[in-house]
Amino acid sequence: MSDAEPIVRVVGVHKYFTRGAERVDVLQDLTVDVADGEFLALMGPSGSGKTTLLNLIAGLDTPSAGEVWVGSELISQMSETGLARWRTRSVGFIFQFYHLLPVLSAYENIELPLLLLPLSAADRKKQVMTALELVGLTDRMSHRPGQLSGGQQQRVGIARAIVTDPTLIVADEPTGDLDAKSADEILKLLDELQRGLQKTIIMVTHDPHAAERAQRTLHLEKGNLVEQTARKLERA
Amino acid sequence: MLSLLGTLAKFAVIIVKNVRRNLLRTTFTSLGTMTLVLVVTLVWSVLSFIDDQTSEKANDLKVLITEKNKSPSRLPYAYVSSLKEGAARAPDDVRPVDYMTWVFYGGMLDPTKPSRENFIFLIGGEPEKIPTMMEELDQLGPADRARLDRAVQRMKEQRNACVIGPEQLKTMNKKVGERIKVSGLIFKGIDLEFEIIDTFPDAAKRYAQTSVMNIEYLLAALEEYKVTNKKPHPEGDAPVAFVVLRVKNRAELERLTAQIGDSPLYTAPAVRCESQGSAISSFLEAYKDIFWGMRWLLGPAVLFTLSLVIANAISISVRERRMEIALLKVLGFRPGHVMGLVLGEALLIGTLSGVFSAGGAYLLINKLAGGIPFPIAWFQRFFIPDQALWWGLAVGAGTAFVGCIFPALSARSVRVADVFSKIA
Ligand SMILES: Nc1ncnc2c1ncn2[C@@H]1O[C@H](COP(=O)(O)OP(=O)(O)OP(=O)(O)O)[C@@H](O)[C@H]1O
Ligand SMILES: [Mg+2]
Repeated sequence: MSDAEPIVRVVGVHKYFTRGAERVDVLQDLTVDVADGEFLALMGPSGSGKTTLLNLIAGLDTPSAGEVWVGSELISQMSETGLARWRTRSVGFIFQFYHLLPVLSAYENIELPLLLLPLSAADRKKQVMTALELVGLTDRMSHRPGQLSGGQQQRVGIARAIVTDPTLIVADEPTGDLDAKSADEILKLLDELQRGLQKTIIMVTHDPHAAERAQRTLHLEKGNLVEQTARKLERA
Repeated sequence: MLSLLGTLAKFAVIIVKNVRRNLLRTTFTSLGTMTLVLVVTLVWSVLSFIDDQTSEKANDLKVLITEKNKSPSRLPYAYVSSLKEGAARAPDDVRPVDYMTWVFYGGMLDPTKPSRENFIFLIGGEPEKIPTMMEELDQLGPADRARLDRAVQRMKEQRNACVIGPEQLKTMNKKVGERIKVSGLIFKGIDLEFEIIDTFPDAAKRYAQTSVMNIEYLLAALEEYKVTNKKPHPEGDAPVAFVVLRVKNRAELERLTAQIGDSPLYTAPAVRCESQGSAISSFLEAYKDIFWGMRWLLGPAVLFTLSLVIANAISISVRERRMEIALLKVLGFRPGHVMGLVLGEALLIGTLSGVFSAGGAYLLINKLAGGIPFPIAWFQRFFIPDQALWWGLAVGAGTAFVGCIFPALSARSVRVADVFSKIA
């Protein structure tokens, strides 16, 4: 465990879904802390509840029991609207399939979350340009997703995730749909975000290589934390 | 404030881009919308004209005096001199502010060839009453009005002068300045020769097929017939179709009706006296089922279909974009934002198509086609009123709004967690 103050605290969380009359317990009495500025990998077999846990931490879903704290906010108690507002400012999302809007340019896709914040046009532009620069796509900003490679699309996805300068970035198999080379570039980029900008990153992955990038790996099995790979020594 | 406007503009950009993404579907939807708005516009044009005709205008009340219980109505010309005073006897009796006598004269240019080109129908009246007592002519622009006034002056000075509607003139293949000989059909044996001195201005759209003459010309011919044949013309003792009086207000209208009803002057034949609106209403009684159907069945059915067309297109869009909607929600877009995007898309298609359709119909039908040919009662054609442009806007926007309620609600209820599920 990190010695820094945890930014994410999952306390005794239970999550079950009901399918008809049947109740499916996905997460059982799960407790985990994520330190501020940590890069955490979540691994585990398919169906073990990785996405479910990520959704709870990112405020996309609420636990059946237990508490989820992010910073000083108890997000497991927030209303739907409250969560939506909180997500815009506090969480950046990176998806396996990028989820860019096909009709919008890279620039416009990155700008989307900013439309929900009270920013001037000039500030909006500045933030989008900064994010574009960070992912190295300034020269492609007017391209639409269809005109970009998978790796480039994922970089747009990352720029969109960081454009509001959130404290927390969650990524669900961000390299799952990419070839090894592009995957490596994306992982490097995440690494830079964590080191350079002190972002807290929680990444779900099936790829042990990808997990190696993280400082700590959590293994989930049938909704239980079975193993925590010890935090690796700081890389130079 | 400025940043809010900027944000709205960005939302508008997204909406426009969404509308353009499936051009084929958007095109079909707007073609469908345009067709249906066109139908509604045509139906409402006819209805609004009929409503206008049958409604009483508070400050322009007209009274129609016809023969009681007979159709077609025939009144002796001798009635006119007292009727135009409203049958007033006492000094404080109500007197009409204006009047006009109507006779109908119709006939053939060539009696051996009974065809449409050969037929002409003229309304005879006091020429100086034409601009004020015939519907809508008082609304002509100054240039057209001056032209009509010159024609009226000439008709007063020259009894056989007539003004013919531009379309009627074309049908007969005649020109202004030519003379025509008409053998009477309504008044058999009364053959009249006219000089065509002008046409009705194009702005007087209702009069495209209408022609007017000086009533004196017909009356003089009937007199001459009597002298020549040593007996009156069979229609000669009652040549007048009706007399129209204008009164100041409802109260005067009622007093005037009572005055005429109580008068001993009109016994053989007796007269009926009613407001023009109710006179037209009773004429139109025979068609009331058609109008009712247009108003309450056809119109609503078309509006309903229109909502369905839009609802269908928008719900396909929403279904196709569930993932995108879920993504927007993940980013923090609230249900209201999502509904706004869906609503905006529907409104954009509906409003533009509606305005375009109504505006196009207005231009094409009024300016190029010369009205909707819909002969019902004595109306030949209908025109699209100016307010149809608003109808297009309102119908387009209204049906788009109704049509997108369900798709918008379904967009609103898309679950955010869907983006992470495996179905992507
Ligand atoms: N909305 C839901 N309703 C019902 N069951 C659900 C729902 N979401 C997840 N589950 C179930 O919860 C379990 C865990 O799902 P989850 O998506 O968290 O797994 P995962 O570890 O992310 O798997 P994968 O590696 O395949 O992405 C699965 O059995 C899944 O079917
Ligand atoms: Mg998953």
